Amino acid sequence: MSNIMEIIKKYPREKRYTLAMLQDVQKHFNYIPRQALEMISEYVNTPLSNLYSMATFYKALSLKPKGKYVIKVCDGTACHIRSSMVLIDEIYNILKIRPGETTEDGMFSLETVNCLGSCAIAPVMVVNDKYYGKVSPAMVREIIKEYGGEKNE
Amino acid sequence: MIIKIDGKECTAQKGEYLLNVARRNGIEIPTLCHSDALPGIGSCRICIVEVVEKGRSRIVTSCIFPVMGEIEVLTNSKKIRDMRKTLLMLYLARVPENETIKKLAKEYGAKVPQRFSVDKSEDCILCGLCVKACESLGSSAISTVNRGVTKKVSTPYDEPSKECIGCGSCAFVCPTNAIRIEEKNGIRTIWNKDFELVRCKKCGEYFATKEQIEYINKKKDFNLEDEMLCDKCKKKKAGERLKDVFEDYKE
Repeated sequence: MSNIMEIIKKYPREKRYTLAMLQDVQKHFNYIPRQALEMISEYVNTPLSNLYSMATFYKALSLKPKGKYVIKVCDGTACHIRSSMVLIDEIYNILKIRPGETTEDGMFSLETVNCLGSCAIAPVMVVNDKYYGKVSPAMVREIIKEYGGEKNE
Repeated sequence: MIIKIDGKECTAQKGEYLLNVARRNGIEIPTLCHSDALPGIGSCRICIVEVVEKGRSRIVTSCIFPVMGEIEVLTNSKKIRDMRKTLLMLYLARVPENETIKKLAKEYGAKVPQRFSVDKSEDCILCGLCVKACESLGSSAISTVNRGVTKKVSTPYDEPSKECIGCGSCAFVCPTNAIRIEEKNGIRTIWNKDFELVRCKKCGEYFATKEQIEYINKKKDFNLEDEMLCDKCKKKKAGERLKDVFEDYKE
């Protein structure tokens, strides 16, 4: 837990740096451990309830551990009409996770996002920071294989 | 300065909030998210009124609208009534069985919209007044959690909060009675936490939680120990004190 302290100590003890601290903690642990939330609360002298409110408000922050690879399927208007839901179903077939869930081995998380600004290559899927455009269900399988998913089939 | 509200001339200080001016002059504007003990938060929008200035009319939220010039105000025009009706229709969509909302809705002729199916036991309209009350009167134990359709008011991790002092300010200010507070055998239960109640030294009625007294003692320099009185007895005592002063003065 000294890790947490190291991350938050980079910032001055002021309330306005709270979000930056939370983002750094999220990046380091892939989620925000309860202890981190309590430590930040003490560090910047802000009620825990305020931080909890923040951590549950922003989609970029998660209180549950996220997978090593976060798959984001765009479900914005353009991607939706180009059947992004089929991709989501296909991911469920392969990894057995629905949006918001993480595989038991902690490898993959699935999220939907509302627009990635890449409507020209709809439907779009992002794994961590890598973009995949014009994705078909068959491609989904290939992409997940790239990251070491679907071993047991 | 003088402003006209529904045709009545009212005096107002510059910067005073319109809702306060109206209420002081006996003009009733409905509110949900307002408590006299707290600054306006302008979230429920029921207190909207029409402000006419230089021949132009606009809609403002009276609880957070400071009076800056000579204006004319309409608190119950057709336009305002229609807008309140829409607002109440939306509130009904969320809390169809809530008595406060139902009563207001009836007054404005708003009906439950049929196309939504919701949890009928829901009473919270998410105005956020409880959170504000907890912040300034309690100990910031509650906050809004999540967002969008899953937004709610709760304690961190939905667990009994370490910070909560059981003062009940949140339940007291809640316009729709959405916060459950129970008192049984000297125990108050709120936000899934039990609090031992303390009796008033004079009348013997339960009036506050142990944690509340400790919190006040910690916050203020004086000790509450000799003032362990409930609201009623405190008022009585203050009244007697005033009476004594008055009688001394008469003699």
